[in-house]
Amino acid sequence: MNKKLHAIYISSFFIIGIASTLLLAINGYQYYSTPLLTRFFNPQDILLKPSGFIGQGLGVLGSLMMIAGVAVYMTRKRIRFFFNFGYLKNWLELHIFLCTLGPIFILFHTAFKFGGIVAVSFWSMTAVVLSGIVGRFLYVQIPHTIQGQMIGINELNAQNENLSYQLKNVYKIPENIFSEIEEISSLKRYKNVKLKTGFIFIIKDFFGTKSVIYRLKHELALAGVPRPQRNRIAKTTKTKLIVSRRIGLLKTMQNFFKYWHVIHLPFAILMFVIMFIHIAVTVAFGYRWIF
Amino acid sequence: MKIKIKTIKNILYAFIILLSYSSKIHAQISPGNLTFAHENLEGLSNCMKCHVMGKQLENSRCLSCHAEIKTMIDGNIGYHSTSYVKNTNCWDCHSEHHGRSFRIINFYPDKFDHNKAGFKLDGKHSQIKCEECHQTNFITNSLFKKRNGTYLGLSTNCVSCHKDVHQNTLGNNCASCHNTVMFKPAALFNHETAKFKLSGAHTKVECVKCHMKETLNGKSFQKFVGLQFRNCTPCHQDVHKGQFDENCVRCHNVESFKIMNKNTFDHSKTRFPLEGAHQRVSCIDCHGENLLSKLKFAKCTDCHKDAHFGEFTVNNVVTDCKECHDIFSFKTTLYTIREHNKAKLPLTGAHLAVSCQSCHYKTNLKQWHFRNIGIKCIDCHENVHGTELTEKFMPDNRCESCHVTDDWKKIHFDHDLTNFKLSGKHSSVPCRDCHEEKNESGKISFRFASLNLNCIICHNDVHFGQFNSNKIGSKPICENCHGYDNWKPIKFDHEKSNFQLKGAHEKVSCSSCHKKVTENVNVFIQYKLKDFKCASCHA
Repeated sequence: MNKKLHAIYISSFFIIGIASTLLLAINGYQYYSTPLLTRFFNPQDILLKPSGFIGQGLGVLGSLMMIAGVAVYMTRKRIRFFFNFGYLKNWLELHIFLCTLGPIFILFHTAFKFGGIVAVSFWSMTAVVLSGIVGRFLYVQIPHTIQGQMIGINELNAQNENLSYQLKNVYKIPENIFSEIEEISSLKRYKNVKLKTGFIFIIKDFFGTKSVIYRLKHELALAGVPRPQRNRIAKTTKTKLIVSRRIGLLKTMQNFFKYWHVIHLPFAILMFVIMFIHIAVTVAFGYRWIF
Repeated sequence: MKIKIKTIKNILYAFIILLSYSSKIHAQISPGNLTFAHENLEGLSNCMKCHVMGKQLENSRCLSCHAEIKTMIDGNIGYHSTSYVKNTNCWDCHSEHHGRSFRIINFYPDKFDHNKAGFKLDGKHSQIKCEECHQTNFITNSLFKKRNGTYLGLSTNCVSCHKDVHQNTLGNNCASCHNTVMFKPAALFNHETAKFKLSGAHTKVECVKCHMKETLNGKSFQKFVGLQFRNCTPCHQDVHKGQFDENCVRCHNVESFKIMNKNTFDHSKTRFPLEGAHQRVSCIDCHGENLLSKLKFAKCTDCHKDAHFGEFTVNNVVTDCKECHDIFSFKTTLYTIREHNKAKLPLTGAHLAVSCQSCHYKTNLKQWHFRNIGIKCIDCHENVHGTELTEKFMPDNRCESCHVTDDWKKIHFDHDLTNFKLSGKHSSVPCRDCHEEKNESGKISFRFASLNLNCIICHNDVHFGQFNSNKIGSKPICENCHGYDNWKPIKFDHEKSNFQLKGAHEKVSCSSCHKKVTENVNVFIQYKLKDFKCASCHA
């Protein structure tokens, strides 16, 4: 998938996701904002209640999206036969899309009424989604090849040195600024980062990097470096800082990722189990939507 | 680290399994709490009391508990049996699993369209409070009677809420007579639908006049059914006290007791059978407003006005009309000429031919008069002669001294009684030739007293004054020569004139000497010659 096609791929996810959410929210706002005790008497109840045509449809569609999202990604990731079926990164993006929009549909299916056994499923789903967001963040912190393979520490160090070479010899930035960048991207900063405080450190470092780049641009401007050159230097410096951080936190992030799996998967299983119970009970009682 | 992760995984899976078996979770299969009314149906074991596998819900499940509603639906009674509800599911209105406090009966009395209950609120019903009807003691269905505050179970039958003042004598369909605006009067009642249809004066009387109030079972009661109406006497008093049969309508009309039923009333059964013109007049003309008033009918004047103003009242006794009139018309009379001839003025001659009114109807008064109208001619006839006839010839204004009743023109008068005795030709000429005078306007009058005796008053003077006397007022000189039998001068003697005829004069014709002359346009024979000279005649 080339870059342009990927951009369309991702954009379509965003557009579909946001548009669906907005459409459902705007259409049902009046109904969903009605107190539970009087919601039955709302004219939209017949359509938007969990067993209503739209409500139940959203449940069916959301469930199918989540099942498909998990099944497709797990199949591609776990079964050797499918290892060469596209980039894992793109399948992950599809997984994230389906397993984000699916829960949103489920949210509207519940009509924001969280009770009964299915609520356990709902909250499990919420946990899975939230942990998914965290997982996505952690995934980014651990450098991967486009095929999804983790990149080793030596390869990262080589990338880091290459970036330093570019700054010093290609862009020829002033010595004092180069020294400062080297100082900031020094791996010594990440030595004392523990598992407990790692997450907060990463967030702080994320904003710290932005501050450094801003300051760098300012100093380059004072030194009389032209704007296009300044931007290229800033971009290279930012990449170097990120690579340095990933090198410094690689082990910590890998540990985080292991723990994350422990949370993400069981909640997903819990969600699916109760969801299937819920579907079984619903179908047994005759609520079959269009089927 | 591997051990740690595995441990965490195991703990989580154990938690999930435990959660699956938790009774709390089982209870939470339900999508939400039931209302307080169905609180006892909470729990997994009770689902199937309402739900049906594969069919969601069935009304029969609801109605198996709510038998009172089923009774109403089956009986086609009340709100739940109306078209608004009948084809809907129970849960379309009465949803569940929305929490304990959910209004499963979302009923707001003030907003409820009562038409949907199969009982339209109108009239007084629209003005009263719900509770005035929806009371437990008005509910007849025992299943509803037990339920506090229910709006169900009332019958649409009026007597379920209202007291039956008719004490079940008129059935229970109050609305066939009464509307909801007011109980009295029974606006919808149409007496035409009753066995006794109102007509005539019956439509104007108050109901209570016939439907009397009485006491039944110790309560005030107005009787509407069971009234006897085969004839009139159950309601009306028999004023004839049984003199006639009970079929009042044979004589009376329902419009009014006083208006007799002409078609069926037989007046011949009375002492005064109607004959002649009496058959054509309305009852009221004789009987007045009160047909029951006792009328005198021995004499015509008991009813009829004396058109003759007492002229026939003798010694305060009115001569009855039938003496002269019959019952067919007042204008015809039984008073014949023979009767008239017994009166003071017997009818003779032309009087026999004239109508009564010519003499007896006074046009100026517009009244008939029969008595004391006078028997003299002058009482009826005008004296056309005025003063021309003196008392001598018309004593006491009596025309009959000259005229007769046969013909006015037929005169019997002795002219010899006058100063001008008729002789010769005078006795054969009509009176008019001498006495009639026509004035300039053509009006004819007769001259008697004022008629001069001189001949030339009647005759022309053909001699143009040759023989006039010189004295004024002297007798006509015509008589000196002429007689009455003809015009020839039989009395003339030429010897007595101033020129005696002698000799040849005796032999010549008169005209030889008395020639025609023209003087002042008048042509006449000159008898009086101016002189007797010979040359005047002879050449």
